Amino acid sequence: MTTQNKIALSISGVSKSYGRVRALENLSFDVAEGRFFVLFGPSSVGKTTTLRTIAGLVKPDSGRIEIGGRDFTSEPILGRGVSMVFQSFALYPHLTVFENLAYPLREEKLPSAEIKKRVEETAAMLKLSHRLERKPSTLSGGEQQRVALGRSLIRHPKILLLDEPLTNLDAKLRHDMRAELKRLHRQFGMTIVYATPDELEALSMGEEIAVMRDGTVVQRGTPDELYGQPKNTYVAGKIGSPHMNMVPATVTVDAKSFDTSLGMISPKVKRKTATAGEAAIIGIRPSDIRLAAKGEKSISSKVHLIEPLGDITIVSVAAGNEMLRMVLPESKATSIKVGDAAAIVINQDDIHIFRAASGQAMA
Amino acid sequence: MTTTAIQTPPTAFTTLALDNWKLAIAGGLGVSISACLAMPATSSFWVVAVMMALVAVTFVVNAFRRHYYGGLLVSPAIAVLFVMNIFPLLWSLGLSFFSYQSNQQAIRFVGLANYSKLLTDDLKAPELWANLTNTAMFTVLTVSVQMVIGFLLAVLFAKQFPLRRYLLILVLTPMMLSVVAVGVFFSYYYDPTFGVISQIIKAWTGEQFILFSSKAGAVAGIVFADAWMWSPFVMLLVLAGLVSVPTYLYEAAAIDRVGSWRRFWTITFPYIRGLLMLALLFRTIEAFKMADLIILLTKGGNDTMTISYHVIRIANEQNKTSEGAALSYLLLFVVIVLTNLYLYIANRRSQGN
Repeated sequence: MTTQNKIALSISGVSKSYGRVRALENLSFDVAEGRFFVLFGPSSVGKTTTLRTIAGLVKPDSGRIEIGGRDFTSEPILGRGVSMVFQSFALYPHLTVFENLAYPLREEKLPSAEIKKRVEETAAMLKLSHRLERKPSTLSGGEQQRVALGRSLIRHPKILLLDEPLTNLDAKLRHDMRAELKRLHRQFGMTIVYATPDELEALSMGEEIAVMRDGTVVQRGTPDELYGQPKNTYVAGKIGSPHMNMVPATVTVDAKSFDTSLGMISPKVKRKTATAGEAAIIGIRPSDIRLAAKGEKSISSKVHLIEPLGDITIVSVAAGNEMLRMVLPESKATSIKVGDAAAIVINQDDIHIFRAASGQAMA
Repeated sequence: MTTTAIQTPPTAFTTLALDNWKLAIAGGLGVSISACLAMPATSSFWVVAVMMALVAVTFVVNAFRRHYYGGLLVSPAIAVLFVMNIFPLLWSLGLSFFSYQSNQQAIRFVGLANYSKLLTDDLKAPELWANLTNTAMFTVLTVSVQMVIGFLLAVLFAKQFPLRRYLLILVLTPMMLSVVAVGVFFSYYYDPTFGVISQIIKAWTGEQFILFSSKAGAVAGIVFADAWMWSPFVMLLVLAGLVSVPTYLYEAAAIDRVGSWRRFWTITFPYIRGLLMLALLFRTIEAFKMADLIILLTKGGNDTMTISYHVIRIANEQNKTSEGAALSYLLLFVVIVLTNLYLYIANRRSQGN
């Protein structure tokens, strides 16, 4: 579909410094229209600054911002058709929920009947109809969050920016709101740029994810791409839970296998750029380690820690010089106790190999 | 060794001990009342003072024996407060029911005569009324000028601009000056012969200009001086409110594309409303008591007499001590009524929201 490929937002070479601190460093990415785009990274990597730059609250030092094909770099906020939900919700504390929702419409000189209709529609959609006369401080966190969302949605923005909107909610509510946001995105079809430090949010909601580090995008792609082919140890370590096991290794003389303290590891696909004797890091997903069947060639290890999570159990074992995490289905983990010896097998076909020096994936 | 604190049991009411404060109060009251009734005022005064000292000593000894160190530590402050404020306050209330002049020995109980004289006497009542209206006029004028100027200054200083900090200190200095200094400044400015204002106007019109020659001029001069001194106070309070508005609200308003007028009334104003009301209360009470600037600038001439200055005249200059005390209590009554009215309105507003 052609509309799917239309670019809603394009950022090229944007840099921004606050005094000596460089918040954004030559940041570039574009977002297709109607896409749920996630900016993912730990705190202070520039996610919020990126959103604020798109919204127009921050003027970049250099670079270019295009919205709907038009250059908005030094344009004022007005006319961008962008709305934003702040991490703190930023509800107007002295106005009722109704007035908070109506606020963006008031300046548009709409007749008050129209405003009332739109507010009531939005409130009904977000299950806030019974709260319209209340002040924000009397609402629960989830309700405040929905008011903030409603205020952004009410004027049908072309682009909706969400700055860690779920961070201030409790775990259960966060789960519900994730589903709610996805539903709203499907319903309205607007472009969403969503900043989050939470990998679960990023993977479950994002149609496309940009992993950020030090004010720039390290890798972008679909959740599957980021999970399946992380470009470097940073992305590999951030995406996937529990985190990937990183094992130091040395490339063998024939450049086919990798020598680790767990023994020799030989992936099926040969890494062509590997040179003999080079230091490498082997990344093994916890789900790619399993308990050995009887008589199978295995690595011996000792159980160090067991974390039951209901249907799965995370087991940490000491093997060689390494501490490895593996994920076992609950049924297989019941018999294991801390201190037991465990024979484990690594699925060598799905391992990730990085250069130790640069952290980049080895092709 | 155990370190359990042994609690000294309370002394029985009838025991004659230095920490028996209940007995001291009862006995002190009895002795004081009988001394007041039986002895001449000059000696009963000292008996009452000794009794109060005795009660104070029993309080201190009691606190010391029972380890009420918190109470002991604040006791000097309480003693000072009592001697300097509470005792004179009660003493003057008592005086207002007597006929007494500080330059004469004679003292005579007259009941409410002082009050009724002030409120109904053919000479005193119109004077009191005129001074009250003057005070009300000064209060309304100075407070409204201070509120407007203070508010505008606060809006200015809430923004960032070069030299802001230094200008802020400069603007705040009038508030820190002594009223006497301010009065002297302005009496020089307003001086008919060599004052700056007179000189400028003389250069303009060629005629001698005397600001205090009319009531309007005198009032304007006093109001200006008072506003010059106290607008920074209003500014400081309002500025505190303006600074407390979270920046993200302004950002949210910018995203919502809200105009500056609506933004001010819906976001900024609610944060400063309480402080504006507080500034209004403080300045109204102060303005109601205004005497210093008037003494320094016009000495009450040209019908600029205020009620406070009137009290000073009667009590200190005409030595009519008990009449002055009665007048002070009338003034206190008006201030209390006004303050409570204000608090009632302020509370009703905040509950309404």
